[in-house]
Amino acid sequence: MRWVALIWKSLMRSKRRTLLIVGSLILSVFTVAVLQSLLTTLNSITDNPNSSNRLVVRHKSGLTQMLPRSYETYLRQQSEVEAVCALQWFGGYYQDPRNFFANFASDETTLFQIFREEFGASNITEAQIKDYLRDGAGCIVGESLAKKNGWKVGDVVPLTGTIFPINPRLTIRLIFKSPKPSDENALHFHYKVLEEGVPRMKGLCGSFWVRARRPEDIPRLIERVDRHYANSAYETLTETENAFNLAFVKMLGNIGAIIQGITAAVVVAILIVTGNTMATAIRERTTEISVFRAMGFSSSRVLSLLLAEGVLLVGVGGFLGVLLANVAAGGVRASLGAAMPFFADFSILPSTVLACMTGALAIGLLATFIPAYAATRRPITEGLKAVG
Amino acid sequence: MVSDRFDLGGGEPIITLRDVAKSYWRETLEIPVLQGIDLEIPAGAYIALMGPSGSGKTTLLNLIAGIDRPTGGSLEVCGYELNNLDDDELAAWRNAHVGFIFQNYNLVPVLNAFENVELPLLLTGAGRGERRDRVEQALTLVNLTDRMRNYPRQLSGGQEQRVAIARAVVTDPDLLVADEPTGALDAKNAEEVLALMERLNAELGKTIVMVTHDPKAAHHAKRQIHLEKGVLDRTVEVNR
Repeated sequence: MRWVALIWKSLMRSKRRTLLIVGSLILSVFTVAVLQSLLTTLNSITDNPNSSNRLVVRHKSGLTQMLPRSYETYLRQQSEVEAVCALQWFGGYYQDPRNFFANFASDETTLFQIFREEFGASNITEAQIKDYLRDGAGCIVGESLAKKNGWKVGDVVPLTGTIFPINPRLTIRLIFKSPKPSDENALHFHYKVLEEGVPRMKGLCGSFWVRARRPEDIPRLIERVDRHYANSAYETLTETENAFNLAFVKMLGNIGAIIQGITAAVVVAILIVTGNTMATAIRERTTEISVFRAMGFSSSRVLSLLLAEGVLLVGVGGFLGVLLANVAAGGVRASLGAAMPFFADFSILPSTVLACMTGALAIGLLATFIPAYAATRRPITEGLKAVG
Repeated sequence: MVSDRFDLGGGEPIITLRDVAKSYWRETLEIPVLQGIDLEIPAGAYIALMGPSGSGKTTLLNLIAGIDRPTGGSLEVCGYELNNLDDDELAAWRNAHVGFIFQNYNLVPVLNAFENVELPLLLTGAGRGERRDRVEQALTLVNLTDRMRNYPRQLSGGQEQRVAIARAVVTDPDLLVADEPTGALDAKNAEEVLALMERLNAELGKTIVMVTHDPKAAHHAKRQIHLEKGVLDRTVEVNR
């Protein structure tokens, strides 16, 4: 018999209790891992390092209000600006309303310049870009989206508009890869398809995406653009891309505080449950612990064995919880990634796994230490109930 | 025959107690359990500690076995002055020199007979092969080799106690301490266990100190020591 066998057999003395506590640990670690990963994913939306010199200019009254495309000229004239891209959320679907994904009408001439980091992983050739620019009914799609729908270059994608009363038939001219999976769940087509198909959109667009030459120019640029259009018929709200995305996240409320609150409640609950279980398990073995010590096991060795049991218990529960969270994350990516692009990035990061396992082991140690220490400090004779 | 001295003679003492006292405290009230115990037990002795409930016989056994500490006096057991050993040293000393036999056997329920007997050997540094040989020898000694893979719940009370005895002797200790070893057994099994203990004393030379209420069990010892209200009352040599 090895020490680890002794620890395992001791742990399995009450199989039902052990399975129940492992089950509750799996559920708790799974919940914490998923919630923390959700928070990480949401934070990544508003903390995109690629967007450090990108700005979004939109109507001050909201996203549903349009801006004149003529603003583009003024924006281009600013010395700090490298490129400007008119972009409008189209909101169409492919074949079935449930088959929803991000699709945009965008200025094809500057799109690749504005989002060069996002297109950077594609090794897009000049010839491919020219193909797209030449075909007014062409479109580009991310690789994840293309794979999901079985699309390839040359295929025609009929989009059904939901916001705008047109159903463009678009030919795929380019399939791009992105460093982030969420960026691959998008389709872009020429802005003029929207302008020509929807008369009320002629000369208007929902937003301008501006690339500044240097990040330090951004505050000055924001202030100048908004001041320039103040008191006009189309006042602007200019903000960094991260701030623009934050507005969407804020629609969910203070999700960070909610997630941290739930995490704290789960941690406290599992600490109490594990502590109570270990205390009961150790109390039931008072005599056995005294017998071990009588046979020559030192207090520190008995304490180590009991702590090892606690750590093994939460280690198994924590590992399985993290494993389950990983499986669930894959399911979320597959089922929601297209409809809500940020879910395409949803994964249980190594740092989250590490934090969950460290937390679980700390709970195991803490929950076991107190009853185990008390048991190993109790006089042997008291444990044996042997006072004559 | 009644002896008026507590030096039991018969050779080099393995247990020497000098003016040993033990008290318990209940809040501010001191409750003396043992007082002025002077006793020498020679190696190879088989002693039955007897006396009414509360006379201090189990406390005396615990002091000799090193699982309790006296409040006064000194104990030298198996060549070690126990008062000079710290808790960890005392634990190592018990592992090397003392085997325990309890009234309720106290086997670990999740370990089989082989693993229960192997337990004390985990502390000795013996290799796997050596441990297996020693466990098999100990189980052969108690005639339970055919039950070595059985769990305690699959054994009778007598068999459990024999496994406990195998566990007590597997480290080849000099001293066996037994607290009411037949207290939970029927007459037939009690007789078997007592016969086994007699063999351990007679054939392997183990010194045995046994606490018992049962005169029949005490009759298997070579000598009886009677305690009365925490003091040694008399010793009786058993004539068989």
